[in-house]
Amino acid sequence: MTRISAFFTGWVLTLVSASSAWAQEMPTPSFPVPWQLNLQTPASPVAERLVEFHNFLLVICTVISVIVLALLIWCAIRYNAKANPVPSKNTHNTLLEIVWTAIPVIVLVIIAVPSYRLLYYMDRVEDPGLTIKVIGNQWYWTYEFPDDDISFDSLPLPDDEIDIAAGQHRLLEVDTPLILPTDTDIRILFTATDVLHAWTIPAFGVKLDNVPGRTNETWTRITIPGKYYGQCSELCGIDHSYMPIVVHAVSPEEFEAWRADQLAANDNTPDDANRLAALIQE
Amino acid sequence: MSTTATHAHDDDHNHAPKGISRWLNSTNHKDIGTMYLVFSVVAALVGGGLSLLIRIELGEPGIQVFDVIGEMMGSEAKQFYNVTVTAHALLMVFFVVMPALIGGFGNWFVPMMIGAPDMAFPRMNNISFWLMPPALILLILSGVMGQGAGTGWTLYPPLSGLAGQPDMSVDFAILSLHLAGASSILGATNFITTILNMRAPGMTMHKAPLFVWATLITAVLLLLAMPVLAGALTMLLTDRNFGTAFFDPRGGGDPLLWQHLFWFFGHPEVYIMILPAFGIVSHIVSTFSRKPVFGYLGMAYAMASIGIVGFVVWAHHMYTVGMGVNYRAYFVAVTMAIAVPTGIKIFSWIATMWGGSISFKTPMMWAIGFIFLFTVGGVTGVVLANAGMDIAMHDTYYVVAHFHYVLSLGAIFAIFAGFYYWFDKMTGKVYPEWAGQLHFWTTFIGVNVLFFPQHFLGLAGMPRRYIDYPDIFAEWNMVSTWGAYLTMTSTVFFLIVTLIVMIAGRKSVANPWGDGATTLEWTVASPAPFHTFEDTPDFTGGNPAAHPAE
Amino acid sequence: MSSGTDFSRRNRRTATTAFVVVAGMVGLTFAFVPLYTLICQVTGLGGTPQVAERNETDVSTQEITVRFDANVDRSLPWDFAPNEASVTINLGAEYLTSYRSTNLSDEAVTGISTFNVTPLKAAQYFTKIECFCFTEQTLEPGQSVDMPVTFYIDPAILEDELANEVQTITLSYTFYRTLDDIPDEEPEIISEADQVITTAQVGSF
Repeated sequence: MTRISAFFTGWVLTLVSASSAWAQEMPTPSFPVPWQLNLQTPASPVAERLVEFHNFLLVICTVISVIVLALLIWCAIRYNAKANPVPSKNTHNTLLEIVWTAIPVIVLVIIAVPSYRLLYYMDRVEDPGLTIKVIGNQWYWTYEFPDDDISFDSLPLPDDEIDIAAGQHRLLEVDTPLILPTDTDIRILFTATDVLHAWTIPAFGVKLDNVPGRTNETWTRITIPGKYYGQCSELCGIDHSYMPIVVHAVSPEEFEAWRADQLAANDNTPDDANRLAALIQE
Repeated sequence: MSTTATHAHDDDHNHAPKGISRWLNSTNHKDIGTMYLVFSVVAALVGGGLSLLIRIELGEPGIQVFDVIGEMMGSEAKQFYNVTVTAHALLMVFFVVMPALIGGFGNWFVPMMIGAPDMAFPRMNNISFWLMPPALILLILSGVMGQGAGTGWTLYPPLSGLAGQPDMSVDFAILSLHLAGASSILGATNFITTILNMRAPGMTMHKAPLFVWATLITAVLLLLAMPVLAGALTMLLTDRNFGTAFFDPRGGGDPLLWQHLFWFFGHPEVYIMILPAFGIVSHIVSTFSRKPVFGYLGMAYAMASIGIVGFVVWAHHMYTVGMGVNYRAYFVAVTMAIAVPTGIKIFSWIATMWGGSISFKTPMMWAIGFIFLFTVGGVTGVVLANAGMDIAMHDTYYVVAHFHYVLSLGAIFAIFAGFYYWFDKMTGKVYPEWAGQLHFWTTFIGVNVLFFPQHFLGLAGMPRRYIDYPDIFAEWNMVSTWGAYLTMTSTVFFLIVTLIVMIAGRKSVANPWGDGATTLEWTVASPAPFHTFEDTPDFTGGNPAAHPAE
Repeated sequence: MSSGTDFSRRNRRTATTAFVVVAGMVGLTFAFVPLYTLICQVTGLGGTPQVAERNETDVSTQEITVRFDANVDRSLPWDFAPNEASVTINLGAEYLTSYRSTNLSDEAVTGISTFNVTPLKAAQYFTKIECFCFTEQTLEPGQSVDMPVTFYIDPAILEDELANEVQTITLSYTFYRTLDDIPDEEPEIISEADQVITTAQVGSF
């Protein structure tokens, strides 16, 4: 594991200056496979719990459906007109009716316990060391690191710029991905500038609406380094299908390096106040 | 048979008005029911055609057909896809399922089942129906005028506001829903009055057939939910056109207010679509098992409780909107609670079959198909009810699969079940059994191939309302589209056979289903005469239909 | 025949009741609009902070951080930002901060703001005393104003098992141009969005 991460650190650091090359070589730990049947590989504590809970629900769902199907098939075999020419006149059975009311209640309670544990776990926030702000626009994302004054747009790459041979995926790549550190609690603030959007990364178990005029908040903690994809999940107009989300999760050290780079770049541009003042004077 | 056959024919009997005025000015519940059914089939052809377009488009990655269609419609491909998705949903909800189940079967059979001569307000019934064609025209206009209403059927502002859709298309959609809503409200009032006041002597509510119960509860839901939609639509309309700011933060409004109002209507709306289906399935299961419905009162009150609880669960559609955790916890609890009365219904249908002498005629096949597929849709509903789990599924194809299992494979299966069940009664013709069975099996396989893979797509993360998707989702989408082709072939077959049978079918009898069919419609000739009953049926001595003439 | 008229009278009564219910539901729908605002204010739904006349809580030794967040809608040619990014204060202690708005255009412009706090569950403990919430602000060309916000965090948050882990609260404002002040020309098409629109639009106003 350490060898792998050392290798990883090595090549990422060499690529910091040529960030466009990042898109091509990162592993994609949670990317779906052809004929995928279940949730993506989880890469956060919340997503791990979601997968666990879903597998539990899947068992219950399957059992219930199979029981109903089996009862229907049994009726078809045992009580078809040939096998049972004289129907019974039985229309009541109080005990039976109590049982089939009580058993679903018990099953629901069995579901509710882990469900609520998960819900309140997702809602509980430790004090994250990093805050990012995700702004939905028609039809691209803007990412801000409010504490560092870093802000950039993340625009989708059109089909003709996708290099499938280099492991890129049509409809999923952006020009500037969001860089986030692994093993760090991250606070995510959500808002939008025009209509509703929803920023989601299935592998992180994060999905929340970006609502104009309002801020939402959730948190995540990425456990596996790599490249993660998401797609806007609230109908937002013509190009709803064309505003992908890409996150590069890197080690905290690499993230710090990237951040320092960004801050250095920031220092070279005239700051907002001067620019605005110049405009007003015009 | 005894009540009608033993009396001399009165001169007015079966004197239906002739020509176009019979339909335009109709006040006869059966004629209006027929018009609703025909209307629903027309809307289904449009709505189903749109869904086929969607599936052809999604059959493989990239844009296949919408660039061509979009150009034809003078709209951009991607916008026209959104328009198609929106129109498909609105058509299926407001112009196919509701008119068929409530307007069609409700009008035809509720008065007959309770022994009433007609609906309480026959002329209002006429208005209810004739509001629907203009509503449909407005809806179609909303798709072709300007850039088209591509907001999704939920019409969420700000996308449905001036900023998102500046031209008139959304206004057409709003007015269309206003008309459809007014039609529903008038219809609901009519059903409530008819069922409460016009039952045959001796038929207490506790003796009323379950389809009558289902229609009554549905009508009450309509009466309470539709005005909320009407109010919210009016707000949206004035926001768009008259400078108000109900949903616009620039005037102190809140876009989330719309979602609360919409889903306060929208969730009861899904029960409005499924409760009549419950009623139909109960009748069919009982008829073909030759047994009375098991736990009749439990069935009636299960529907009533589903209806009541349906009003307090709306925000489970809004788990990702940014809502406090305790609110979400509440909505999880009440939503899951609905599984209990639904479970009672499923088990009661099985118990009705248990010990019965079941003949697997076409309507019964559809009803059994309904029971199983509705169960599958129900359990995925329980999965989605969990606010935590919903984070992974919200706005993915998992949700699409879920609501098509309960509506497309639920409500639509019940419509086909009712159609085959009452076909003889409505047309006087016999539907060939082989054709019904073939239609059932091809549709059953088709829709499962169509919708089951969408669970996998949703879990893998494919969002809904996407015209194009990453190539990794290609396989299951291809399978899903094969299912759509099979379903569509099956539907075309059904339409052709139905036309042939209507023209050249064998003549049927009053009661083709035997002694399991115990409701009053089976006591009159097939097709049901223009004036159903010569004498008001009397229930004071028990159900006259349950003791057929000697 | 009398039973027939009886019938129709009863039917008419039922239908009238139904129509009254419909009218009542439409009325309730419109009544829900102010009620919704009220529910948000009372329960903190959607992260709506509380508003109080004065601070009557005791100051606790426990500290909490409040971050200040600002957004400007594209239609508003303003610069709008908090004067401090965040502050760490004691629970129960009153704090005065401010946001600065600058009108970048060459005409008077009226803005209006929406606001909420996150995490949403902290909203019911976040109490504002003086604020520019929802009050319309007109700024002359080039004018700058400081908009004060006085608030405190109710120490009762410590007793809320669901919320007592919260150590950072974000107060977020979004400024819009008021509906009455929208210029007559065609509304900007949102799809032609540009991130620096506040400055790009300067000339057009």
